[in-house]
Formats: sequence, structure tokens, C-alpha cells
Amino acid sequence: MATKQHLVIDPLARLEGDVRADVFVEDGHVVDVQVEAVMFRGFEIILRGKDPLAGLIVTPRVCGICGGSHLYKACQAIDTAWRTEVPPNAWHIRNIAQACETLQSVPRWYYAIFAIDFVNKNYAKSKLYDEVVKRWAPFVGTSYKIGLEISALPVKVYAMFGGQWPHSSFMVPGGVMCAPQLDHITRAYALLERYRTEWLEKVWLGCSVDRWLENKTWDDVLKWLDESESHRNSDCGLFIRFCLENGLDKYGAGVNAFLACGSYIDPEFYPVSTIEGRNQALQSPSGVVYNGKYYVFDQMNVREDITHSYFEGSSLLHPWEGETVPLDPEVAKKQGKYSWAKSPRYLIDGKPVPLEAGPLARQVVAGYEEAKSACPAAGRIEHGIDPLFKNIVSKIGPSVMVRVLARMHEAVKYYKWVKEWLAKVDFKDDRFYKKPKELPEGKGYGGTEAARGALQDWIVIENGKIKNYQIVTPTAWNIGPRDSKGQMGPIEKAIVGAPIKNPEDPIEVAHVARSFDSCLVCTVHVYDRKRGKELARYKLGTFK
Amino acid sequence: MATVLWLHGGACNGNTMSFLNAEYPSVCDLVTDFGIEILWHPSAGLEMGNQVQALLKDILAEKIPLDIFVFEGTVVLGPNGTGRYNMFAGRPMKDWVYELAHVAKYVVAVGNCACHGNIPAVPPNPTESTGLQFHKTKKGGFLGEHFVSRGGLPVINIPGCPAHYDWITQVLVALAVGRAKDIQLDEYQRPLTFFKTFSQTGCTRVQFHEWKISAEEFGQGTRKGCLFYELGCRGPLTHAPCNRILWNGVSSKQRSGHPCIGCTEFAFPWFDLAPGTIFKTQKVAGVMPKESVYEVDKFTYMLHAVTARIAAPKWATEDIFVV
Ligand code: SF4
Ligand code: SF4
Repeated sequence: MATKQHLVIDPLARLEGDVRADVFVEDGHVVDVQVEAVMFRGFEIILRGKDPLAGLIVTPRVCGICGGSHLYKACQAIDTAWRTEVPPNAWHIRNIAQACETLQSVPRWYYAIFAIDFVNKNYAKSKLYDEVVKRWAPFVGTSYKIGLEISALPVKVYAMFGGQWPHSSFMVPGGVMCAPQLDHITRAYALLERYRTEWLEKVWLGCSVDRWLENKTWDDVLKWLDESESHRNSDCGLFIRFCLENGLDKYGAGVNAFLACGSYIDPEFYPVSTIEGRNQALQSPSGVVYNGKYYVFDQMNVREDITHSYFEGSSLLHPWEGETVPLDPEVAKKQGKYSWAKSPRYLIDGKPVPLEAGPLARQVVAGYEEAKSACPAAGRIEHGIDPLFKNIVSKIGPSVMVRVLARMHEAVKYYKWVKEWLAKVDFKDDRFYKKPKELPEGKGYGGTEAARGALQDWIVIENGKIKNYQIVTPTAWNIGPRDSKGQMGPIEKAIVGAPIKNPEDPIEVAHVARSFDSCLVCTVHVYDRKRGKELARYKLGTFK
Repeated sequence: MATVLWLHGGACNGNTMSFLNAEYPSVCDLVTDFGIEILWHPSAGLEMGNQVQALLKDILAEKIPLDIFVFEGTVVLGPNGTGRYNMFAGRPMKDWVYELAHVAKYVVAVGNCACHGNIPAVPPNPTESTGLQFHKTKKGGFLGEHFVSRGGLPVINIPGCPAHYDWITQVLVALAVGRAKDIQLDEYQRPLTFFKTFSQTGCTRVQFHEWKISAEEFGQGTRKGCLFYELGCRGPLTHAPCNRILWNGVSSKQRSGHPCIGCTEFAFPWFDLAPGTIFKTQKVAGVMPKESVYEVDKFTYMLHAVTARIAAPKWATEDIFVV
């Protein structure tokens, strides 16, 4: 007889924000799960009636991890509402800053948030365990220290242009506040080179960035792994070997349908900020992949389902019409609601579907040739169209391992892109800002790709004030609860099927949840579902 | 040697991110060189679920001594004082905070949210958020006016949205090496060593400020003018060391053409973000800055401004930090 167990993890931690997960386990596998976001701050309510520019100050504070991304899209939301003309130099600087935030996030996330779980005692039998502990143990691991300290470098580049990271507001409708000088550009190069030599190539890849970028398929990656000792022994090599040995390539698939709203404007394609013209100017392409088919991304197809969210009603609205009326969770629970996250959905042939956002989504979308015609600017930049992860997903499917690899791959690409944009800053065309006409009425949309995925704002301005403001985060796409049709979001779906080797220490749930890098902190308890009794409290191996 | 427990209330994690940028000491150095033991941190702690609950209970039972309790984010009291908008480890976060603050030797509020409520507390304050010992400029907050931790200090406020990593690490080191008695606090309980000077101190545009030469619009970086007269810079009115302890070791808002928004003062965000108040100097009669740093009447101010502008050297009107 199969025994069903109910695990409650509270807090799950290292997801940023707060989350509790109720996990049901049968025969050593997760059969059902509910993920609850347990914290609410009401930023959209605060923004109502405020200055249209308030989004530049308030939305970065939604999340200090991707505050720069919040700024980028908040600024674009007003840009499109006011139809600004942003000088090319300003676009390059915005892109550089935005990509540097992700360059920061990659090592910081990998070492501080993700890899420390491999130090868990559940893996003590692994042949690679000693090496993993030596490198990735928190605070004292050899790579941990390098990774954490190196992550402070790309944001120095950000700070040179933005004054500080986190929480700058230096992007404004019409451009940027700064007017960098030559030494800002040269120092930025120096910081990026340090990032490459001391971590990216030396520690992470064990090869040059160009060698890594030759990999176009999963077979190429496996060949790369066998090619030399330095590849195998790099952190990337060790990560892949550890995943294959411990089955992290076998679970955590999720919905296998992806959304990228795209980012990094090529100013040549974008003389005036408009919603309609945005797709073609994106160097990191937008698109939706559903059932293996590419769809051109259109923000008009985004909806927010609140059936199971702690908000009044059960509407399915486009964000311009979006509502945010909070309920007391105690009351809302009685209506079957169980999370503060809303459930964003995307209409495909009129049907709302859940989509995964994040680095894997971006990289899968970038693998489609159709992305090139939808977003011609992506075809112009090196590796803008990039077949690697479309191939990996078609070959071995999405998983915890693949999702993490996609994120790490972006460090290599963005390192190259930032250098390309730095080269484009043109001091002869000495403009970084063009004062816009501040229109008292309008609707705007701004989107970007934060380190953890599609991040978008919708603004309605009336009488020179904010009438409505809705923020749809990648975390909501990924961690949102079930919708009115009972469809699970990507994280819930990805946790189902995960093997649980030790119900007292369900580290696998943490791997899956953390592979999405969601901005929420989770909670998991363990109960026997039949007897409703709490099982022995599980313990994660502590490192001391 | 000191134990640290760091928790997040209604937080964006910006202070943690700032903290992780630290250099001299870096976060790793704090652990390895200063013997600071981070008992748990929501973004960097290894434990989850029941283990965290067990740890918290051991701290409350004083089986594990808690030297420094660091809190980031607002204390969420909503809805209707229940705290249910911010649950943590099975109960409202506010309940954990109250109990932990009373067993800790020192309580440190990191960032504006924990200090005074910050943006979440802007009207209509949908989550009933407040700071540990202040609500905006008013003393009291969650722990009450008279709260003093076991080590004899009220909540040590390290404001800023976010707080600079150096302000955080230096306070942690001071507490860890037994220099708590040297931490002098101002009326808002900010360490004076950081918050006595103004954000203007060390600003590269001070000369422009003296000559009353204004930057007219954005996109001029450091090259021209002071941001005070048109673009709402609060540098002369804000207690903060941003231009002497540079951000990320390289810059400051003003150095990148960004007006100081006064994020270390307890009235932040200023004017509750009302229309027309962001990046725009509030003026009297369309000319004189409303919040003048000079304690003079309008006429004297105007006279002074005109004279200064006439007397300004030629370079003051040129692009001085050229490409
Ligand atoms: S820019 Fe701001 S801080 Fe700098 S001198 Fe002017 S007013 Fe002062
Ligand atoms: S310069 Fe002003 S706005 Fe900027 S961080 Fe310092 S106090 Fe805050």
C-alpha cells in the first residue's frame, strides 16, 4: 500500500520573499503541491494617485535583487505613454546597466542561493561530495568566496552610470541622467575583464568564453566536458557531473512552455518609444513557445487570474484593467484561495495558458529562427539568436540542471554584449537625454528581462496622475497558484514528480523551487496525509 | 565573536543585496576574520522549514545567545493589526520580531523600511507597515518609544533605501569587537559617525552650488551645474555620507547626474510622491527653493543668488568633467 505524506515547508528560504509549500508525497515522489506566497506589500495600491514618475522610485523597491530591471521597465512604461525619443547613447547605457545587474546575479545566485544545497548531507555518499563541500560551502568554500566577491564587480559598472546599485533611479523618460566620461567606459572594460579572468573563465568555465560559445547542442556540451581536465574540473564541469550523478537532469520540468518579453533595445530600430515598435528593436528576443511552437509576443494577450489569490474576486483581466483589492488570508482561505501571488496567463487562441519565465525561457525562445523575423535586432547582435537551449530542451527536456545551465550561459553572452554596447557609446553624439513632453493622459507598457525573467509594468495616466499601475513579475509567472481552470503554474508543476529520497529532508523540492530563482521565501512542513499527523521534523544538513 | 540573526519583514531585499556588495570587510571576511556567526539569514542561510523554527525557538529560550538581531523591511501589522499580511514560520512575523528584539543584546534596523516604514508606509499604507522604533519621523514605531535592548541601546537605525554596505558592516564590526559604547546616535538613532555630515559633503558639484549655477536638465552627468535649483537635489538637506563613502566604491547619485532623493531621512519618500514633486525643486513664487539651506528671507536670497552668478568664474558655466 502506498503511503501518502503531506510535507509543509515553512519557510523554504533562499527564494526571497516568503513562501510556504504544502507537498504531498506518495511512493517517494511528489504527487501534489500548493505553493503559497505569504507576504503582501501593496505597491500597486500605493502608486495610485501619485506622480507618474513615482514608478521610477517605487518599483525598484519592489525587489532589491532586480531593482535595476524594475527601473528599466518602469521607465519604458512612461516612455511609451509619452512616446519619447531616447537618444542612442542612452539606450546603450540603459542596456549596459541592465545587463550588469544580471552579470551580478549569476554568480551571486549560483553560490549564495543555489549550490549550497549540494552541501546537504543527503549527498554525502556522492563521489563528488568532498569536492562540492570544499568549493561551495557557504562563506568558506573556495569558489563561494570568489563568486560572491566577484558579483560585486558588474554592479560597480552599474554604479558608475547610475550612481549606485541597488536602487538607482537614473533612467528617466527620454534617456538617462548621466553623461559618462571616457574613464567610465575604460574602467567598465577593466571591471568586466576582471570578472572574466578571475571567475567566468578561470573558475566557472575552465576555458575561454569563445570556446564555450561554440557549443550549439547538448552533444557539444558533453563533448566539451570530456575535452579536457580543466573543463571537467571547472565549476561548470563539476556542476554538470554532479547533476548527472544525482539525477538533477531528470526532474523539475515544469510546464515546458515559455515566455520572454525580451529586452535590450537596439536604438536603430526604435526612434520613438512605442509599444507596437518594441518587438523589432529587441536584441534579446521576445516570444512565446507553446507546444514547441513559436508565437510573436503581444502584451495585449497577458491576463492576471486571481481565482486562488488573496484578492477580491476571480477576474481574468488585462493589467491595464487590473485590480488589487487584498483580503485577509483567513477569510480568503475559505474561498479556496491560497497565495498572495496572482497567476499571470497568456492567451493563445483565446485560451489562457501558464508559461515559465526566466533564463531558460529566454534561451529557448532565442533558439527559434522565427524570433529573428519577429525581432530583427536580435539577428544583428552576436548570439542574439542562439540554438543551444532549444536543442538541449528538445534532447533531454527541461529540468533543474538545464534551468541552472541556461542562467549560467547568460553570464557568457552578456559579458560579450556589454562590451559591444560600451563600444557603441559615441561621445561625438554627445546626448544622453532628450527632454520629453510630459503628457497628462496616456497608457504605457514597459517590459524587460530581469535575471529571473520577464518583468513588466502597465501604467494608466490620467490628469497627470497615476490612475492604475500593475506590475507583473517573473515570480508571479512562475510561482502563481492554480488558475480558474485548475491549471498549475510552472513551479507547482515542476515540483510534482520530483523524487523525495528523504521525507525528513526534502531537498529536492528546494532544488526545483530555487532553480527558478523566485523572489519568495518558502515554508514546508511534513505531515502524514492520512492520519493528519506531523511526521518527524526533517532537518537540512547544517554546515558549521 | 558575535552571533547575528537577520530577518526580513516587508522587505525588498535591497539591503541584503547592498550588504553582499561589501568590501573591506566582505561578507565572507565578517565570518572568517571577525568571527561573526550568522545564525541564519533568509537569503544565505542553509536551514529551512522546521530547522529554522527550531533555531528561533532555541534563541527565544536563550539556549543560543543572540548578540545582534538585524531586521530588514517593515513590520507589517495588517490587516487590522493581525500581522497576517506577513506570515513567517507559521505565525505573523511581527510576533517573532517582538520576542527576538527582547532577547537580543542589540537590535539593528537596516534600511528605511525597518527604520521608519519607508515606501510601504506611504498613505494609504495598505499593509499597516511601520518601523521598529519610528513611524516616519515620529518616535514609537513597533517596539515603542522606550524600548532599549539588553545591551543598553535603543534600536540602532541604519537608514537608507538601501543602506550602504559599509554603514552596515562597520556597525556589525563595532558591535562584534566590543565598541558598542562608542556608537553615538542622533535623535533618529542613526550612528553619528555616518549621519552627521550631509550627502552634499564631498559632492563634486559643490562649486556649482556655491556659484548658484544650475543644471537645467538631465543627461549632463557631472559635467554641468548643481542639481539643487531645478532638479530637486536634497543633498544639502540630507544627513548621509554618500559622497565620502562612495557607493559600490565608485560613485554616488550626484556623481551620475542623479539628484539626491533624501533617502536617509525619515520623511522619505518626500511629499509622499505627490504629483509634481519628483525630481523637481519645490519653489516659492516660482523662483526661490522652498526648502532653502540658507536661513534668509527671499529678498536676501535673491540678491545673494544674483551676485554669486555674476561673480561666477567662467569655468563654472562650462563642461568641467569633459570626456
Ligand atoms: S548636486 Fe546636490 S549634493 Fe551636489 S552640490 Fe548640488 S545640491 Fe549639493
Ligand atoms: S545621495 Fe541621497 S538619495 Fe542617494 S543614497 Fe545618499 S541619501 Fe539616498
